[in-house]
Amino acid sequence: MPLHWLVLIVLTLGAVGYIVGRRRAMKSAGGDARFLHSLPAYYGTNVLLVTVVPAILLLIVWLLVQPLVINNQVTGTIPDESIPEGGSLGLVMSDVRRVAEGLDTAIDAGAMSREEAASIRTEVTDVRQRLAEVGVALGSNVRPEVLRAAQQYRSLDATGDLAMTVALLVLALAGFGYGVLRTTKDFRARNVVEKGILALLIGAASIAILTTIGIVLSLIFNTVEFFGLYPAWDFFLGTTWAPSFSGRGGASELGVLPLLWGTLYISIIALLVAVPIGLFAAVYLSEYASPAVRSVAKPLIEILAGIPTIVYGLFALLTVGPLLVDVFGAGGIFGLGWMKGGTAVMTAGLVMGIMLIPFVSSLSDDIINAVPQAMRDGSLGLGATQSETVRQVILPAALPGIVGAVLLAASRAIGETMIVVLGAGAAARLSLNPFEAMTTVTAKIVSQLTGDADFASPEALVAFALGMTLFVITLGLNVLALYIVRKYREQYE
Amino acid sequence: MFDTERAKRDVGMNDIKVAARNVQVYYGDNHAIKDVDVDIEDKTVTAFIGPSGCGKSTFLRCLNRMNDTIDVARIEGEIRLDGEDIYDAKVDPVQLRAKVGMVFQKPNPFPKSIYDNVAYGPRIHGLAKTKADLDVIVEKSLRRGAIWDEVKDRLSEPGTGLSGGQQQRLCIARAVATEPEVLLMDEPCSALDPIATSQVEDLIDELRTNYSVVIVTHSMQQAARVSQKTAFFHLGNLVEFGETGQIFTNPQDPRTESYISGRIG
Repeated sequence: MPLHWLVLIVLTLGAVGYIVGRRRAMKSAGGDARFLHSLPAYYGTNVLLVTVVPAILLLIVWLLVQPLVINNQVTGTIPDESIPEGGSLGLVMSDVRRVAEGLDTAIDAGAMSREEAASIRTEVTDVRQRLAEVGVALGSNVRPEVLRAAQQYRSLDATGDLAMTVALLVLALAGFGYGVLRTTKDFRARNVVEKGILALLIGAASIAILTTIGIVLSLIFNTVEFFGLYPAWDFFLGTTWAPSFSGRGGASELGVLPLLWGTLYISIIALLVAVPIGLFAAVYLSEYASPAVRSVAKPLIEILAGIPTIVYGLFALLTVGPLLVDVFGAGGIFGLGWMKGGTAVMTAGLVMGIMLIPFVSSLSDDIINAVPQAMRDGSLGLGATQSETVRQVILPAALPGIVGAVLLAASRAIGETMIVVLGAGAAARLSLNPFEAMTTVTAKIVSQLTGDADFASPEALVAFALGMTLFVITLGLNVLALYIVRKYREQYE
Repeated sequence: MFDTERAKRDVGMNDIKVAARNVQVYYGDNHAIKDVDVDIEDKTVTAFIGPSGCGKSTFLRCLNRMNDTIDVARIEGEIRLDGEDIYDAKVDPVQLRAKVGMVFQKPNPFPKSIYDNVAYGPRIHGLAKTKADLDVIVEKSLRRGAIWDEVKDRLSEPGTGLSGGQQQRLCIARAVATEPEVLLMDEPCSALDPIATSQVEDLIDELRTNYSVVIVTHSMQQAARVSQKTAFFHLGNLVEFGETGQIFTNPQDPRTESYISGRIG
């Protein structure tokens, strides 16, 4: 039975359970809802939940586990000698799955009957030819053991699907029966539904946390694998970034220092632009602007935050870069010849700074507004001017929060990719000249993974080590920011 | 019923420090203060009493133009400090507030050290030439605030770490450090316990020797205890203004009588 029918049946059963549960509760109270422990809807919801939730959970677990089990069983039937030289079991298994899918497609298209798909033999028929007719292209002729594995794969899959359908329906019906039987007027349906909602909320929180853990683990495993192929010492302390593109192994130099330097240099320039402008804008908006100006200006500044970073990248490449070349390039206004091309640290830094302005200003604005009015009154009441009040009372009081905002902006700057790819160039180098092209960790992760390098080579795996480095740096900054914000937050209480 | 001992002690005439004539205050469309005329004498404690929302705090904030910071507030009429109209275009509200200090309902020390809290005003107005001068001003102000003995050994600790009563006395010390001529106090004891209240009241009585003090209070006992003159506000009107002893023992207006005997308010 197709999956969506199964889900629909379970949901319908749940809906019926809602109505039945509600009716039964009302009946047990003699038709008067005042004699019930809970409102009638709670009894219905209780039956709905015990019918649907366990069934859906079983479905999810089954869908995750079944492919693993089948894979294991089929793998066992493939003889070792059928694995080609230099290949791996995984490659053979992906062939198997591809053939199995091809047979499914052929049956759906009506080009093959079920029995034929189960009994077809390469010795008799050209399977590759038959599958190509229905639009499934295979890389090579189908070998007999692969075809047999694929057929076994299909039959196990069918058995599994059938078992799943039965188990699911039985569970849903059992839940339905249990829920309905428990429904009497003294049953505390309200409390049970409350617990169900609690479980739902915990589940949502756990998914977020588990995903984070999964991402971190995948980073760690791949990083460890990378350090097995390439010495960690050379990675962390190497001053040259020169991956070889010739394929596997060889003379790649994968030193992270030029990339880290590029990242830091661009981020520092971005913060030098964003922090003063953002902070002054926040002070204006929260302390000086009238409500009318504020209601217009604040959303306008925050529009900047809504612009996709790729658009900022285009702005850097097409507008800011050429403009800077006109000023600082050879034959420019000052005739300095510092800048050779439009892509440079300065270009990316300036544009990234603009991108961060709303980030800094809106966080700082919130923090400045959180400084109690009593502080302003106290200072103004002593005869201080508005700017003296801001400088000597409000900013010191808001400082921890502002530092937190700046650190969060720094994490964003360090993690930014598109502006760097388009604005800063792709040359990894250690230089102090801000008008030279450089590149960052993020931009290099993109270029290492989008090439056609073998995924098991150090040239590709280095991306995970770079990602891990970046992750540790931004995590550290975020933790520091949260620590500072928390430590000083309750100062006015 | 009311202890008006301090009021009896001094009913002599002093110079008029602040003279308000025909003052109207509007918050948007709301007419908050109507036709208020009042003369506040030098070296005297004047108490403003009245039920909540009667406009006494609003009127107090007119005296140092703190209402300027509220966008919708509009003030008409005339308020003269030593004969000079404080709402004149020539007057700088910042300078005015240095002359007319203010202490707020809730203690509001800055998140700085005790020393820096007191030194804040003198630094802004350039009252001290040297660090030694500043030290002298800070000590003098803290002594006037009756808190010197409690904090002299921890001047570098944050002012927010003091107890509520100490914080309020610190705020009073901070206000007197700029050498104001008039000190406005907006319910200075409403956030304090009885012991701290009594300390602050004693302090107010001492401050009278140097300043003209105006205090807004909800406690009629407090008004009777600390003030020489009392003004009773009701619904934005100044109902009665006179010597404290007379207001509390022989009020002329029936509304005043109802209020102090607890029938309205």
